[in-house]
Amino acid sequence: MQLSTLFLGGRYDTMTSYFSIAFLVIFLPVCLILYSLLPQKLRKYFLLVASYGFFWLVSGKLVIYLLLTTLSIHYFGLWLDRIHRARNEAVKGVEKAERKEIKKRFLKQSRWVLAFAIVLHIGVLLTLKYSPFFTTNLNAVFTMLKLPLQLQVPSYLMPIGISFFTLQAVSYLIDVYRETIPADDNIFRLGLFMSFFPQIVEGPICRYDQTAQQLWEVKGIEYHNLSLGLQRVAFGLMKKLVIADRLNPLVKEVFANYADYEGGVIALASLCYTIQLYMDFSGTMDAVMGIGQIFGVSMPENFKRPFFSKTISEFWMRWHISLGAWFKDYIFYPVTMSKPMKKLTTAARKKLGNHFGPLLAGAVALFLVWLCNGLWHGAGWNYIFFGMYHFGFILLGNIAAPAVKWLHRKCHINPEWFGYRVFQIIRTGILVVIGEMFFRASTLQAGFAMLRQMVTNFRFATLNGDLLKQMGVDWKDMGIVLVTILIIFAISVWNEKGVIVREALAKKPVVVRWAVLYALILFIVIFGAYGAGYIPVDPIYANF
Amino acid sequence: MEQLLEILEDIQPDVDYNTCEDLVDGHILDSLSIISLVAELEDEFDITIPAVEIIPANFNSAKAMWNMIERLQEEE
Repeated sequence: MQLSTLFLGGRYDTMTSYFSIAFLVIFLPVCLILYSLLPQKLRKYFLLVASYGFFWLVSGKLVIYLLLTTLSIHYFGLWLDRIHRARNEAVKGVEKAERKEIKKRFLKQSRWVLAFAIVLHIGVLLTLKYSPFFTTNLNAVFTMLKLPLQLQVPSYLMPIGISFFTLQAVSYLIDVYRETIPADDNIFRLGLFMSFFPQIVEGPICRYDQTAQQLWEVKGIEYHNLSLGLQRVAFGLMKKLVIADRLNPLVKEVFANYADYEGGVIALASLCYTIQLYMDFSGTMDAVMGIGQIFGVSMPENFKRPFFSKTISEFWMRWHISLGAWFKDYIFYPVTMSKPMKKLTTAARKKLGNHFGPLLAGAVALFLVWLCNGLWHGAGWNYIFFGMYHFGFILLGNIAAPAVKWLHRKCHINPEWFGYRVFQIIRTGILVVIGEMFFRASTLQAGFAMLRQMVTNFRFATLNGDLLKQMGVDWKDMGIVLVTILIIFAISVWNEKGVIVREALAKKPVVVRWAVLYALILFIVIFGAYGAGYIPVDPIYANF
Repeated sequence: MEQLLEILEDIQPDVDYNTCEDLVDGHILDSLSIISLVAELEDEFDITIPAVEIIPANFNSAKAMWNMIERLQEEE
């Protein structure tokens, strides 16, 4: 790693990981020192410059996408605001009936502006991210129909985090349209909301009213925030270096050469991938939240111990929460609350009753949500299948709910009984692992082939030290991973019981707090998978 | 308020709507019940409930729902 590469915009793409040396040892400390030295009134501007600097270092000239997106939503927001103000003027002192008409007219106007803005922003995302996928599939259809036509498959350079900041931009516009927030006339505040460097790569997808003002009012670094923030970064680093990176060789090997392995080993690799994905993404979120806390900024949590979920539906309320909330607020409810869907619900309720009646409209909206969820993760059939897989289980859960209740009564099962809850958690875990296997598989066909192996050849006969070595790991690696998972599990159980471990720790004497931080760092230094022979896993969610 | 209580009873019986204050947070009304409820409320009270109003604070109790209905009627 050469320092000079830091000054060649866009070349320093290893910094997409908040755990890279370039970021943790150079970029972040320099930022923190400069931020502390600057007078209070300049700090927010410094954060904006640092955020654009970070983006430029990672994506080079593609920073123009972020800049244009910010400028665009700034002006569209002000345009919507002007329409709202004109409407308010127009309805002053007007009779109720006429008022309704005037409001309708202005609503139509603002709806057009919003639609135009959304088409523009989602259009850019679709073009950059999905046009190669759609063109390839279109060509396949042409070939199938024996048409003498082939389109050239386009290829674009994508700026980092575009899927995240586009959703953030669209949420800003919809919120202004809905008048839940005012349009921001301060381009710098809006710019900082869109670009804040700790969250630009992997989220969380923040709403304007959650972070914009906080970022604009940042204060000096406080000791309490610094110590808690650093602890959280270290905790994330442990998840990433000790678990995610250590499992990387095994996951890579088995998913690349699945035909060489028996079903039990494929199941183990799928479980390892699910753990790796969780540790990588939630570990990154720990770093994001920790860095945010150092600056005194609180962002919405993205994970809430997802592997304690009893159903798939609950799993998605605990995993990548900000994405789920985005889909719920901007797709699920607007679709179910649309006029045709409301009519459908009213009619269906009369015929099918209170449970199945609204399920029709709910299913249509859920389908769209999960199609978008799958596609959001990537342009590929395996991602679409991943979305439909979860849609199927969530829908099935809703359809079967009355029958399950009936079964509980008939068989005298108390759903709150500990043993039954454990059964539900394990069942949900297995379904999640299978879903993630398709998610990670190189193609949809590969995913099905792996599933077939798992079902027809579920054995561990070949699993021994030599096989582990072939997969790039050994028993020691597996032991370290297991112990670290047990530590994280114990902390999660406490958190699940309502004991917030970080807050409990914050109340301890300063010696204890720093001792814990040093112990954590020492643990990472001793057991982290770095150096020769280890290839760190690329930040998985940064590619979405 | 009587009409509202009747609708709620019809959608999800066996709940004391006069006292319960965590209908959404306590998972008594799920998203499907909310879909039904919104369609019924719009018909009954001649209002339009936009998606932006679908927040727990507006549906956690019968009183909160009633306040929302009155507010939307006023704004219409």
